[in-house]
Order: sequence, then structure tokens, then C-alpha cells
Amino acid sequence: MNLKKILSKDVICLDLKSKTKSDVLSELVALLVDSGKLAAEKRDLVLDSVKRREAQMSTGMQEGIAIPHAKTDEVDDIIACIGISKGGIDFGALDGKPSDLFIMTISPAGKTGPHVQFLAEISRLLTNPDKRKRILSATTQEEILAIFLGK
Amino acid sequence: MKKKLLLSSFFMMLAPLVLMASDGEHHLSYSLTLTHNMTLLVLQLSIIIISCRLFGYIFERYLKMPKVLGELLSGIIIGPYALGGIKLSFLSGLGASQLFTNPLPIGEAGIAITPELWGLAVIASIVLLFLTGLETDLPTFIKFSGKGSFIGLGGIVFSFVFGDLIAVAMLGGVTGFMHPTALFMGVMSVATSVGITAQVLSQKKKMSTPEGVTILAAAVFDDVVGIIVLAVVLGIGAGSGAGTDWAHIGIVAGKALGIWLVTTLLGIFFAPKLTKGMKRFKSMEIVAGISFGIALFLAGFFEMFGLAMIIGAYIAGLSLSQTDIAYEIREHVQGIYDFLVPIFFCVMGMLVDLSIFNPFENSSLLIFSIVYVLIAIVAKVLGCGLPALLSGFNLKGASRIGFGMLPRGEVILIMASQGLSKGLIGQDMFGVAVMTMIVTTVMAIPGLLVTFRGGSGYRAKKGEDLSAKEMKSIELEFATPRMAEFIKGEILESFRNEEFFIQKVDHSDHLFYARKDAVTITLALEHDKVSISMLPQDETFVRLLVVEDILAMKDLLSGLESMKSPDMMGAELMMGMFSMFDSDATPQDKGFDNTEKAEEGDDEESEDEEKENESSDEE
Repeated sequence: MNLKKILSKDVICLDLKSKTKSDVLSELVALLVDSGKLAAEKRDLVLDSVKRREAQMSTGMQEGIAIPHAKTDEVDDIIACIGISKGGIDFGALDGKPSDLFIMTISPAGKTGPHVQFLAEISRLLTNPDKRKRILSATTQEEILAIFLGK
Repeated sequence: MKKKLLLSSFFMMLAPLVLMASDGEHHLSYSLTLTHNMTLLVLQLSIIIISCRLFGYIFERYLKMPKVLGELLSGIIIGPYALGGIKLSFLSGLGASQLFTNPLPIGEAGIAITPELWGLAVIASIVLLFLTGLETDLPTFIKFSGKGSFIGLGGIVFSFVFGDLIAVAMLGGVTGFMHPTALFMGVMSVATSVGITAQVLSQKKKMSTPEGVTILAAAVFDDVVGIIVLAVVLGIGAGSGAGTDWAHIGIVAGKALGIWLVTTLLGIFFAPKLTKGMKRFKSMEIVAGISFGIALFLAGFFEMFGLAMIIGAYIAGLSLSQTDIAYEIREHVQGIYDFLVPIFFCVMGMLVDLSIFNPFENSSLLIFSIVYVLIAIVAKVLGCGLPALLSGFNLKGASRIGFGMLPRGEVILIMASQGLSKGLIGQDMFGVAVMTMIVTTVMAIPGLLVTFRGGSGYRAKKGEDLSAKEMKSIELEFATPRMAEFIKGEILESFRNEEFFIQKVDHSDHLFYARKDAVTITLALEHDKVSISMLPQDETFVRLLVVEDILAMKDLLSGLESMKSPDMMGAELMMGMFSMFDSDATPQDKGFDNTEKAEEGDDEESEDEEKENESSDEE
């Protein structure tokens, strides 16, 4: 799985401002728009599908990690962004704890591709507590990118 | 419905066989003989179908053995050498004295049953190989063949050489390694049928182990290469009359191989164009019928060129397996397969004369068959086990693979029937083949159960963590089998969307491999359970994937839930309808009872309805 193609430093936000789940999702989608990965006019439709997926079951997992994602025809290729919330917010996580590390993935609905495999790859990387610590204490986007790319 | 067409077309094909059989009769009594022969055939078929089904059931259900063993045994019991050879006076009206004995021995092959019945078995073997070809997974064969081919090849070489050499050493009249009979005894030992292995491993949840994956890959290799070896040997057998020098044999073998290769390549090239044209018929029944017709044509064509009908049928299937309608053709042919193939096994059993193994009359044959069977076991276990040892497995893993590759199954029966009809082997060697098939198949089960106990079969390299090779498994239990089947389909679809290649492990719809590059994940459907096993590094992926499918299903169910709510238009309509008949009852109650009943007629609807009820039970 080539994370390098999907992740770049302009889709990483070191300090998310939002304090609620809904705001975090908007902010992450905005990050995708700002980085040029997502056309601005598709913002609402994509946000909608992410929220719909969250309504089925929260993607907040354990250890403060959340992986909001959705499949939609609004995108042609898989896109992703990473955001960190200092202090964490209530994301309705499985373990009830606040979430502070967000990885959002949007993948095309009608196309085959390693979409879930991307999610899995990221999730597996984050099972390492040391890496999690380094990501949360990182001060630059490059630093975080390097950790995800295994450098 | 859709199977009818093919069934009836196959019965029509029987007609010429019947005519052929009556050739020698007087003209006057011709029509009478025809009726007699047909009546006898129908009676035979009735006994065959009923007994092979019963025996198959008993073997599968109570003895936990493959159905095919029961079907074969039923043939031995009811065949001309046992019960079927008993004189029955009421048959004299049909010009026969025993139910299954051939009144006119045909040719030198001296096949013990009537030509009509033999014809049926021939068609069954064509159907069997056509379907096997259709199910052969060429991309997997090419992509994942590495380690599997090495192991498969080891088994083939060992089995072939030893099978051949025993014949040379022990059979009178077999002059050397290249003698057609010797070669044929070698080919028969090559056969592999891992159906029973897949069954045992799936029950023990070992399908996705490195051993399980390797066995399946090696078996695909054996299927493809076994057919080629058979083609070459039959070519040599047919051409050996002219001389047995190496140059001649080389030419004959090269010709057989060439025909095989050219037809296969042409088939794979033209099949997509052909199916595209056939799609204009807009009916899969017609397309499947024509495809089967093509298989029969190729079968006949190959026979004419000194190869075998089954090879032509296999190539027809193989060519069509890569087209987008392979699945539909398979579905349609499955009907004749399910009907005919048990008959084939039963008829094969009928050809076995157990009395030839009587040690007091003919001890040499009994000794030969014991040696042949033992060597067949050793050759496969060693032939596959040694290459396995060389490719990273430890002794335990290698013996697991060896036993997994052991069963000869139906493949040896098909090969033996070819040898018998072409006179390359006699009825005695046919009996030996049947013994080999029974012993290797039965032996594989305890062999696998014992060797698969305990830890990993992989040899740890320095510093390698063996626990990383231990399989993990996720089990999901659903309220009903139908619901489990539904989610199984959804999960497989998700794997496909992730660019996985889905491979069916056996003829049933219960065991699948999802493969992509080095990743292999097994999915098994067992009654109301779906279990998925994989290596630890793939566990996160599988969990995430399945969660999304379960959520999608939940969505579907809540969609249905809302449909049921009283404000739905459909419900309102129904309510209005029934209040017309019974004004006393509350419209709501009546209305809903009938809504559900009305929906039962529609398959999809009622299925979903069922699921919905169960999911609430579960909660």
C-alpha cells in the first residue's frame, strides 16, 4: 500500500480548532478542500456522506484514534487527511474516551481499489503506542508525515 | 427450468448410442430390440440413481466420508460382478438374463456393462471435465503458482515415475518405461483431487494456513499439468503401434502437447468473441446449451486425433472460464453435473470385479495392487513433502502438505476409464485404480487430522516470530442460514471491491479464498455461521471491511423497518383494502397480517423480512 501517494504535508493539521464532533468533521473536509484534493462545490455532499456514516456507528476507536470515512461518487480517487485535536473532543468513541487523532478517508463508491486496505494500514500503524505518542507531540507536518511513511 | 433444456438434450444424445448397440440385430426385430434395450436402460438407471444417492448420503452424513466413495461402492455392490449379475427370470422378456451384465461383450476392452450405460458414463465424464475446466482459475494458476507448482510438480514426477516403474517391474508383458501400459499406470498415480482435503481443512479452520494455501495452489497446478500429461500419454498410446523408438515417441508426444497448447490458446483467444456473439440470444439457457455443445464437439474432435474426449471438454471449459459469462454457464451446467456425475461414479464401481483380487486364485494381482497403492501414497507424500521442506516448511508442514495432496479422488477414476476404453489397461488394472482411489482418499483424512495437530508447519528463520504465521479467525453467527448467506455474499463483494480475487475452493458455495498479492483470506459459510480466517497482519483490514458490511446491512434493515411503519403508503393501501371486507376488525391488525403474507410470494422481499425479524430476535 502506497501511503505516499495519498498523504502529503498539506493534508495534515496539527491543531484542530473544533470542539464538537460535527465541527471536527467540517474542519477535516475543509482541510481536504484547502489542500486542493477536493473541489469546493463538493464539500457539502462529502460532509453529508461522512456524517451519514458516523450516524451508523462512530468511527472513534480506542486510544483517542478516530477514522471518519465514507464512500461517495464525488471523488475519483481515494483522498485522506490527518488532524490532531489538542486535548481531544468527544467523538462518541467505543471506549468513551475523547478522541485526539483523526484520519479522514474519502473513497470513490463505484470504483474498486484498496480503500479499506488504506484504512487498515493506517489503523495498524497506530496500534504502536510509541508512534501515537510521537504523532501527538509532533510540532511540524513533516514530522507526522515521516512517521506515517515509516521513516 | 433452466436445467431442463440441457437434460433433455443429453437424453437425445443417447438415442444414437442405442441405435449403435442394436446394429447387429435382424431388421425385423429391430424396433423390438430398441424398445427392449431402452427398457433395460431405464430400469438400470432407476436402480443406479436410487442406490448411488442413498449410498452417497450415508457416506457423507454418517461416515463423514466423501460422497463419491459411497457412490462408487454402490456401483460395486449393484454391478454385474455382484448383485447385478444375479439371474432374474422376469428380465428374459427384455432379452437379458441379468440386470447389469452386458449381453454382447463389446470389443477387446470387454466392458462389463451395456454400451448404453457406458455411453452415459462417457457423457458424464465430459460434463465433469467441462465443469472442472470452467472452474479452473487461470489467473490464480499463473499468479500464485510459484511455491505451489514446485510442490505439485514434485508430486507429479514422483508419482509418475514410481507408478510407471512398478508396472515395469511387476506386470508381465510390460517391457519398459515407455510401454503404453506402464506410462498409463504412471499417469493414474499422478491424479490429485483435493476436495476431501479442503473439506477437512475447512472444518478444522486451517484453510488459510500457509499449508492450506499451498495445497490448493499445488492442486490447481496438478489439474492443469495432469491433463497435459494424460494427453501426452494417450497420444503415445495411440501412436505406439508404429514403433517405440524415442524419436517416434517424441514426435507423438510433441504432437499431443502441440494440439493441447494450440487449442487452449485459440480457445482462450476466441472464447470472449464467441460469448459476445452468443449474448445476442439474450438467454443464458441458449448460451449455456451452445457452450455445452461446443464442449461436446471439442471432445469428439480430440478423440478423433487420438487424444481423449475429456481433454477436449476440459479445454472448452478452460477457454470459457475466463469469459464474463463463465459463472452463468457453470450455473446451468451444474444441473446436469449434479444429475450425471453420481451415475458416473456408480458405473465406475460396476466395472470393478472384486473376485480378481482373490488371493487364492490370483495372488500376484493382489500383491501388485497393494504395492501400487503403497507406492502411490509414498510417492505423493514424499514427492510433495520434499519440495515443501525446501520451500520453508518444517517436517510437520511438509507432511501436512504431503497428506493434503494424497487423495486421487474422482480424477483417477476418469483417467482409468480412459485407459480402459482405449485398451491401455484391462479390467484388472482398472480395479487397482479404484483401490488406489479408495485407500488414498480414506487415508488422507486421519493423515491430515494427525499432522495438523499442534503448532506451525513453517520453519522459523532466525529472529522470525512464528506467532505471526498463526492464523486468526473471526466468527460471526447469524440468526438463520439465509442471513449468513446474504452477508457472505456482501463480504465477498467487498473483497472484490478491494481488488481481491475470489476463488471458490470446491464445487459447493461454502468455501472461498480471497486473494490479492501475498494475502490470502478464507471465508467459510457453515450453516448460520460465517467464519473468516487470516494472518494476524490482515486482521485489522478484515475487521474494518466486515464492520462496513454489517453497517450496510443494518441500513438495509432499518430501511425495511421504516417501510413497515403505518405511515407508509403501501400499508395504508392495504389497510384500506381490508377494511372493506371486515369493518369490525381494527384495520391496522388485519392489514399487517396480510401485508406479510402477500410479501411471501416475492422471494427477495420475504427474505429480507425474515432477516429483519431475526435481527430483532438477536438483540
